[in-house]
Amino acid sequence: MKKSVIYIAIFLLLIGFSACEDFLQNNPQGELTQEVFPSTAADAQLAVNAVYATLRNWHFHSGGFPILDFMSDDSHKGSNPNDQASTLNPYDDFTFTATQDGLDRWWSALYEGIKRANVVIEKVPLIDLSVPLKNRYIGEARFLRALYYFDLVRAWGGVPIVTTTNPPLKLERSSLDQVYALIIEDLEYAIINLPLRSTYGMEDEGRASKGAAQTLRAKAALYQHDFQTAEEQILDVVRSDEYDLESSFANANSLTGEHGVESVFEIGAIGIEGGGGAGNQYANTQGVRGTPNKGWGFNCPSENLRHSFENNDPRLDYTIIDLNEVIDGITILGDGTTPDVVTDENGQIIQRECYNQKVWIPGANTISQWGHNRRLIRYAEVLLIAAEALNENNKSADGVYYINLVRERAREGSEDILPDIETTDKNELRDLILEERRSELALEGHRFWDLVRTGSAAQVLGPLGFVEGKNELLPIPQTEIDISQGIITQNPNY
Amino acid sequence: MSSKTLLKIVLLSLLVSLTQWSLGQSRLITGTVSASDTGETLPLASIQVKGTTQGAITDLDGRYQMEISSPNAVLIFSFVGYQPQEISTQGKEVINVILQVKPSSMDEVVVIGYGTVRKSDLTGSVSKVKSLELGKITSISPEQSLQGKVAGVQVSSTSGAPGAIPVVRVRGVGTFNNSSPIYVVDGVILDNISFLNSADIESLEVLKDASSTAIYGSRGANGVIIITTKSGKIGQEQITFSLSTEFGIQNLAKKIALLDGREFATITNEINPGTYNNIDALPNTDWQDLVFSPAPMQNTQFSLSGSTKASQYYLGLGVFTQDGIIDKSSFQRYTIKLNNSYKLFSNIRVGNNITLAPYWQQNAPNVTYSVYRAQPILEPYYPDGSFGVVYNVGNPLAELANSNNFNNGLRAVGNLFAEAGIGESLTFRTSYGIDAGYGKAESFTPAYTIYNPDGSASQQQNVLSDLYKGNSENLTWLWENTLTWQKSIENHNLVVMGGYTMQETRSERMSMRGENLIRDGSDFWYINPAYIYDPVNGVNTIQSISNGVDPNQYYSMISYLFRANYILADRYIFTATFRRDGSSKFTQGNRYSNFPSLAAGWNMGRESFMQSIEWISSMKLRASWGIIGNEKISYFDRFARVQSDILAVIGNPDLTVPAASYGKSGNPDLRWENTTQTDIGLEIGLLNNRLTGEFDFFNRVTDNILVELSTPGHIGNGLGQKVRYNAASVLNRGFEFNLQWREKINDLTWYAGFLGSIIHNEVLSIGGNSGVDSTLLGGYLANGQPVTLSEVGLPIGAYYGYQSDGVFQNQEELNVYPHSTQAGIGDLRFVDTNKDGQINGLDRTYLGSPIPKFVFGFNFGLKYKGFDLSVDLSGQAGNKIFNGKELVRPDPYNFEQHVFGRWTGEGTSTDEPRPSFGGYNYTPSDHFIQDGSFLRLRNLILAYNLPVRFAQRWNLTEIRIYVKATNLYTLSKYTGYTPEIASFDVLSNGIDYGIYPVTAVYAVGLNLSF
Repeated sequence: MKKSVIYIAIFLLLIGFSACEDFLQNNPQGELTQEVFPSTAADAQLAVNAVYATLRNWHFHSGGFPILDFMSDDSHKGSNPNDQASTLNPYDDFTFTATQDGLDRWWSALYEGIKRANVVIEKVPLIDLSVPLKNRYIGEARFLRALYYFDLVRAWGGVPIVTTTNPPLKLERSSLDQVYALIIEDLEYAIINLPLRSTYGMEDEGRASKGAAQTLRAKAALYQHDFQTAEEQILDVVRSDEYDLESSFANANSLTGEHGVESVFEIGAIGIEGGGGAGNQYANTQGVRGTPNKGWGFNCPSENLRHSFENNDPRLDYTIIDLNEVIDGITILGDGTTPDVVTDENGQIIQRECYNQKVWIPGANTISQWGHNRRLIRYAEVLLIAAEALNENNKSADGVYYINLVRERAREGSEDILPDIETTDKNELRDLILEERRSELALEGHRFWDLVRTGSAAQVLGPLGFVEGKNELLPIPQTEIDISQGIITQNPNY
Repeated sequence: MSSKTLLKIVLLSLLVSLTQWSLGQSRLITGTVSASDTGETLPLASIQVKGTTQGAITDLDGRYQMEISSPNAVLIFSFVGYQPQEISTQGKEVINVILQVKPSSMDEVVVIGYGTVRKSDLTGSVSKVKSLELGKITSISPEQSLQGKVAGVQVSSTSGAPGAIPVVRVRGVGTFNNSSPIYVVDGVILDNISFLNSADIESLEVLKDASSTAIYGSRGANGVIIITTKSGKIGQEQITFSLSTEFGIQNLAKKIALLDGREFATITNEINPGTYNNIDALPNTDWQDLVFSPAPMQNTQFSLSGSTKASQYYLGLGVFTQDGIIDKSSFQRYTIKLNNSYKLFSNIRVGNNITLAPYWQQNAPNVTYSVYRAQPILEPYYPDGSFGVVYNVGNPLAELANSNNFNNGLRAVGNLFAEAGIGESLTFRTSYGIDAGYGKAESFTPAYTIYNPDGSASQQQNVLSDLYKGNSENLTWLWENTLTWQKSIENHNLVVMGGYTMQETRSERMSMRGENLIRDGSDFWYINPAYIYDPVNGVNTIQSISNGVDPNQYYSMISYLFRANYILADRYIFTATFRRDGSSKFTQGNRYSNFPSLAAGWNMGRESFMQSIEWISSMKLRASWGIIGNEKISYFDRFARVQSDILAVIGNPDLTVPAASYGKSGNPDLRWENTTQTDIGLEIGLLNNRLTGEFDFFNRVTDNILVELSTPGHIGNGLGQKVRYNAASVLNRGFEFNLQWREKINDLTWYAGFLGSIIHNEVLSIGGNSGVDSTLLGGYLANGQPVTLSEVGLPIGAYYGYQSDGVFQNQEELNVYPHSTQAGIGDLRFVDTNKDGQINGLDRTYLGSPIPKFVFGFNFGLKYKGFDLSVDLSGQAGNKIFNGKELVRPDPYNFEQHVFGRWTGEGTSTDEPRPSFGGYNYTPSDHFIQDGSFLRLRNLILAYNLPVRFAQRWNLTEIRIYVKATNLYTLSKYTGYTPEIASFDVLSNGIDYGIYPVTAVYAVGLNLSF
């Protein structure tokens, strides 16, 4: 018995020696944790770059599919009739619901971008960096945060506002005005702290510039009917001499025109497949289906858009790819499973197989298509914002000048088309500007929101199913309402 | 040298080195050993020549033979739980022995955690499965044999693919994350046992209640399966050789009733009138016939075992090969098993248990899904022999032809141990075990294009050839030290065990993907820098390289354990266990947790007042309570990540620049998940133990479940990203029973068994008030739609969606009922469950449970002279299947036959809507829910043992031949390949995603012993 006690004691001693707390301390392997990032100048740069990377997330582009164009009178779902019919047609006829495919993707992607911006805004001030560079980094992040919130506020109205890296799980929706206030605050910081586009070196082109921030500020003002601010900011951009129109409209969105004189803010992309790569699937989603195989063929320009162009407006041909058209030496044969023409009972064409030319990238494969740089802001829009703001501020005569700059470029030197607009009647000019925006910016995601903000949506889109008092905003994704147990409330009438 | 040749050499040299042959002038004694209580023969009973170390052991049928040199030698026959018998061999050639049950204990020894105990002294709920049962189902997974064999255990195949591992659930689904039991093989704690050959297993014990599992503390919450592998028997000095081989053919057990070409065209014309003008002229392709074909399966093993005065040895070799019923899928595994122990001194024993298992696997792409969807009006080949286009789906034959997906590796599991007796009552045991695995994956797809009939490229193409390579390695070591003190004084019997263990698990994975290989052949399947560099765009596709630890296989643990078992007067048993576990998966403050249990047993049958009741042979009542834990989560869950694999594109021209930012948020507050289980059991033997019964009632509540919950989108974690919280509780309450009847009438021995368990599974809470999701979506279909919703009051992984109550017959109905804007006449009528006058997401409701309410098995066997027959049935009832493969339908696919019951006008159908290629009627609803109950003829074996004299002609002791059929027949209403649909992910349980069909196997086999 005594012996046993000794042995047991030895055993316990053994345990005592080998039980070491360090043994249970396992550090993360090959991965940084958030407590220690970003902490160096190099980290700061990485963190800023990450805010841009969200722009190439497929979901950032309205959940992947160009639903804003479907919801306008400019286009239909596209692809073959059955492809994604149940998930996407509801955007064409306004039967979408809170569980509609893509809404949650878009919402999540925007907030992911916001989180990345908040990392920079919150942490970079604590890093030892030269003050101008530090302010530029924060300015870039605040510009992008404003860009993401601007999508949120236009799509859903007042949304939860997150400005820290550690937000509460329970967060109610803020008001529309509060969201706009944050957007404005961010952009004003960006306007002060971001450099002019021309001062960036080649390797930094594509970063947010003062001109981009001012244009976005002016654009946000348009949505709030604050035309005074819009005018001040946009004329500042015009006067900066940083931008001009491409001589050919075709190059406003083309590969040749990437980072060109007309580009105010665009999303850089390199043609490689796969979401985690350097490509952007935005153009692949809309690329020609079939032969050549450039993509899935979504976003089929509508007959309504086709007929909305003024007679012989060359922009029509640059906007729509028709079957048998030859572009960059490639003949468009299209897709075997998509009907070339769909007619109604009277033989009237209601839809035909055609594609969005604004995302066209030369080459006969899908990979090249991933290299399209989507232009979020281009100078033609700057001029049209100037025209609109001036007109609304009762300076219609000045406004006409800017809209005519756009028309002049479009007419390609031809005397007998797209004549200069001469009217200075405010209402008449307002309509003309809206029409000009449609012809100039078709299929670039502007039309639906232009109709909503100008109050024309019910009239123009009503026949397509738009319901006034409901469809101005999208429904909050049902998952957000479910997860928050109703703290996040649904938009009216959904 | 091929690995097969190598094996042969190893085998031969081992044979030569073992020279324990007994030669000399001798005569042969043969006979059988059987048990008095069951009438059954006793396998592995030992026979020893009195006064010598010479001995033998009975084979699986209780037969033995041994050579005796002395004319008047006395043999001692013994078997655990039975009284040894001495019989003189004088003048005898055949000695048949019936061993009598020991009066004090009529039971077998049961292996429990860190020890063994007699069944009658057990206070916990433990089911033992003998090695004979384990070999009945030929599979790489010994667990497959447990289906319908152990009350409270549900075993379900996840797939019929070669090498697939089944899902095992002990007493319901206990948690939202990994709900699989742990396996303890010869003392080494493991997560899976796919390396283990059933033939090398001596016994398998399933530990179910808290009293038995709590000694495994943090890892015991979902049950513990203890496996003891074979070893040489003491006293068996002659080497026993055994060789068995089996050949089987696997067949598609059932075809899904899909539309043929004509039928498909008929339905298509109803959807899009005028699509096909002459439906009789269309091709009619049966894709199922083209893709599935019978495939062979082979299992061969060889073993030798024996002992000397100072050592025991066992060597097992196995070769298992299985081809899939889908081309390009196969599995091959070799197993090498070496169990040795040596007696160094009278009180010190050392030994090893080692398994090596190299394997080779080829995986087919999931063509089951494309076969299900492919239109039957498309030809598989064009007239020129090239693959035909299959719109929207891809030609499954082309997919197979271009698939080259392999993985292979080596798993080594084993331990070295030493046991020292210190004085009379103290035993010290130390054991050092390892589980090492090395795996390699390789997948190559050549560049190819399937063309449309007009010569244009279809969507099914791979523009550039690509190669994926992956390597993984993991190493776990486990050092366990226990001290056992045992003392019996008069009526008191006390066993106390204390221990200390350390474990460390490490792993690393590396993978790479390259494109545009210079040649297609397998000689070129190596990554070259050029393949990860894209010359066209001038960039490195660096995201194609990944390297890191396996987050589920990277942790350390320290444990202290204690158990006391006290038996008073052979009747009253008390057990207390305690384990304290520390895991690196938690932050310092939350690191340790305690897991106690208490149990008591009462052997009523041994009370004097019971002795007068003759028909009751034994009876025991037992009860236990305890807390057990679970920590099977990623070591990384508590950390908030930085995502550093982000690429931004900046600059003119566009250049990739590195980027990093906050990834998923973490949860530093994580702590142990714990399960409190109470169990009350009754074990009874009636009519001289011919009828035995075991009944258990259990109540199992898991709290602080480590569950990954969706965070709100505004947190910025990105879509579908979840963060782990201790934020749910689940109840599993149930009753399980096992009834066995065994009888021997003259030459006929027979048994029949019926066992089952009834389970009530209910989520008690999720999320709480923490602002994260209070419900748990899961079961995401291919289009991202979730079809399960776990919430309070419902089972884990409950199906949810719209409930339909008919089909809109006319405009009037459409006007009256609330309906979705997408619904029209002839479409499903969904119920407005919240009665708000509209049909929307809020109307989705509970549609059924994937967890069966009743899981059961019937077993029957008989033995008559040389013949024996065994019949096993298994089944389950009360669960539903979600036919997920039917629901996802963005494009025109083929249909199941039931579409013919479609609505074609008022009054034609109230459950099958008008046909459509997707859209509204394919919203997740009860239309896709089917009854998952089934009864399956799991296994049927008819065997014949050739007479001994016949065997002796070839110097053999046994020749047994058999025919066997597995999954011969399944009674089920389900329209898919199999109603046995399981997932390791408890939130995707019972959803048919288009799985690789489970097969029916017909086999013949031969066993030889010598």
